Amino acid sequence: MDSVIKKTALHAGHLELGAHMADFGGYEMPLWYTAGARAEHLSVLTAAGMFDTSHMALIRIRGEDSRSLLQGLFSKDLDHCTGPKALPLAPGRCAYGVFCDVSGHVLDDALVYMLEKDHYLIVVNAGMGGIIKEHLSLFSEGEHVAVEDLTDRVGKVDVQGPLAGKILSEVLKDAPALFAAMPYFSFKGDWTLDGSSARCLLKDETPILLSRTGYTGEFGFEIFCAMEDVSRVWSLLSEAGTPLGLTPCGLAARDSLRTGALLPLSHQDIGDWPFVNHPWMFALPFTEGRKSFSKGFLGDEALMAAMETAFHTFAFVGKDLRKVAAGPDTAVWLGQENIGRVLTCVTDMGMGLKDGVVYSITSPDKPEDLVIKGLACGFVRVDRPLAPGIPLVLDDGKRKISVTLTADLRPARTARKALSAMLA
Amino acid sequence: MKEIKDLVVPDNLSYTDAHEWMDKEAVPSRMGITDYAQDQLGDVVFVELPEPGTRLEKGEVCATVESVKAVSEIYMPVSGTVSAVNTELEDRPELVNSSPYGDGWILEITADDPAALLSLMDHGAYLDMLKGL
Repeated sequence: MDSVIKKTALHAGHLELGAHMADFGGYEMPLWYTAGARAEHLSVLTAAGMFDTSHMALIRIRGEDSRSLLQGLFSKDLDHCTGPKALPLAPGRCAYGVFCDVSGHVLDDALVYMLEKDHYLIVVNAGMGGIIKEHLSLFSEGEHVAVEDLTDRVGKVDVQGPLAGKILSEVLKDAPALFAAMPYFSFKGDWTLDGSSARCLLKDETPILLSRTGYTGEFGFEIFCAMEDVSRVWSLLSEAGTPLGLTPCGLAARDSLRTGALLPLSHQDIGDWPFVNHPWMFALPFTEGRKSFSKGFLGDEALMAAMETAFHTFAFVGKDLRKVAAGPDTAVWLGQENIGRVLTCVTDMGMGLKDGVVYSITSPDKPEDLVIKGLACGFVRVDRPLAPGIPLVLDDGKRKISVTLTADLRPARTARKALSAMLA
Repeated sequence: MKEIKDLVVPDNLSYTDAHEWMDKEAVPSRMGITDYAQDQLGDVVFVELPEPGTRLEKGEVCATVESVKAVSEIYMPVSGTVSAVNTELEDRPELVNSSPYGDGWILEITADDPAALLSLMDHGAYLDMLKGL
């Protein structure tokens, strides 16, 4: 990997906004801006936040064997992945899954976008473009597939939060038409402009790919554009959104929001161990009863075998906002036994606890006298299956916190709400 | 992130290399964390304070300051007894960010040997240290 730290096209703008910068995935990225991570996190729950995610890597594959290549490597079955009826992936739809090696260990997680027949975009994590491109190329030798790493040509801005639709309405050229049929995990436009998928333009004619996805658990969009356009896209959004409370957000808020939304961070919550027994089993192509997969793919046999033997990953929630350091040296105590390690531990500033019930600042049933200060939460990887409700103690050597395993974290998330309801 | 020129480093305080400040004139002497420290930590969300009356050696952990980024330990700048703690921080930990030398003070310490305070850095030495980071 490149040892020189990279900067996105928005780097100078982040410094002007007073961002506190840090190295992430080989890029110098904002950790937080002057508002601070807490205010940024809360802005996404109550208004909207804007993130520079241009560090994410983007790969394009084209050619008549594209779909079969993806079917052989990607964990999601593209013939059964869209909507409640599990329809095939179609143009304008995207799917979440992982790329595994032959042992069923995760190389990276990804969103696969179908632009048109034989033409897909694959979004992977910062610094992973080269590795996943190599992986795809290796398995497509002799096939009719062209694999391209577009990472340095693409800019990306995420707008996340309940007001994201209203803000986008201000900057899109024809918002009503674009928003007409746009469910969760669908997208409009193709900034590469050499596909035939419907165009999506901002008011100043900048072509974008507008995706109803995100990494916060809240309603919102990811916007892809040419790298040379990303500063203009950021400025347009900022001008339109600032009066509505749109706040620039850094990686700290992104991390706490995604954890509260039960989303994994690749190479931390999923990684170099078998991708089974975790809260993200929907990313595997199980048939009914989880005894078989609906398709063959790289790592499938190892994964099926690992179901009985591999680690188990669970979400947990604490009693207050105090967290511990995650990492291999932090113990996970079940009674007197250390049964694993802490993968992620952050504070979701939007959660609070009363009488054993977790509320969000946006929960409609939140008790009036509950002052929400945040709750520690995250993921543990342990050596045995356990049920939600099991109490554990996490101990990083300096502090011990009591936590409870849970099936879900921040309530009242808005990611899947109907777009029309979010414009009202 | 604040530039060095934007950091507040009052000239009437003493400093440690762990980015703590201590009032060298008053007895007992107040201490807290510096503007640089709070800027690096980000939003302070919780402060754990010791019981007043606790006697601690120089370098021992006397409090923890938890931010969005990490849980950081605060060390005794000199040996002495904790004579008071800033209980306001229990409800308003963000004072450490907004007023690190004022309302965001953390402890008051009665030093075993008041002369020990002379071993701490003055504001010039601390600024030089920051410039070298």
